[in-house]
Amino acid sequence: MSFCLETYLQQSEDYEVLLAKSGFKECAKIINEKAEKVFYVNPGDKVLGARLIGIPPIPVGICPSKGTIIISYTKPCHGTAAIEIPVKNEDIESIKEIAIKK
Amino acid sequence: MKALILLGCPESPSQTPMANYVSWKLSNLGWDVSVASTPAASKLLEVGDPNNQYIKNKIDIDSTLNTLEEGQFDLLIGFVSKDAAASYFVTFYHILKIKALALIFEKDLDVLEDLTNIVRESTDAEMVSVKAYHNPTPLKVKFNKSLDKLLGNVRD
Repeated sequence: MSFCLETYLQQSEDYEVLLAKSGFKECAKIINEKAEKVFYVNPGDKVLGARLIGIPPIPVGICPSKGTIIISYTKPCHGTAAIEIPVKNEDIESIKEIAIKK
Repeated sequence: MKALILLGCPESPSQTPMANYVSWKLSNLGWDVSVASTPAASKLLEVGDPNNQYIKNKIDIDSTLNTLEEGQFDLLIGFVSKDAAASYFVTFYHILKIKALALIFEKDLDVLEDLTNIVRESTDAEMVSVKAYHNPTPLKVKFNKSLDKLLGNVRD
């Protein structure tokens, strides 16, 4: 079964919220500041099985030394959060494959 | 022709009556209308329209997004009164790649300007940008004018 971000966030505590109930731009800024490397994707591109919501280009932070990524996560009534999630190497490779030029 | 109306957080009182109005207007013009929203926004629509007279098809916003494909609808109309709603509208716009109209409304002029700039800089959608909270009339008047312009473009 493929990874489901929505289910993971509901059922796991193994992630860190770097910023919550904020705006997309603020979360994008945190991702750029905290990540070791940043790739960019289009709105609606799928990362960890979930479509990323936001203003293009959407940053996806990669932290290879920790084995994590940092992404924005948006809900209509709760704004946007920046969350850091542990991932496998293949997930990072998948992100690189869909990355666009900023 | 299929239209998708995208709702944001239902916190602003103008959204629910305007959603009914926009759906009613488009349906009368022959559009097959779907309204995508959160469960909370959907419940507000349901209470105000118990016989589905104005809105025939209510769908969940996140489920719709997960399976959304380019050209699945012919017209996108989005309510934008929060930063998250702007992000959703821009995302739906970029996936669907269709004619779109953003109804941007807020009571705070600075926030209204920020939301308007986000939509302007990220899409080529038609925009209505108006100071509105309790009173939906300014939004309704500008929506009618913009819809005429947009549908004129569709017929072209």
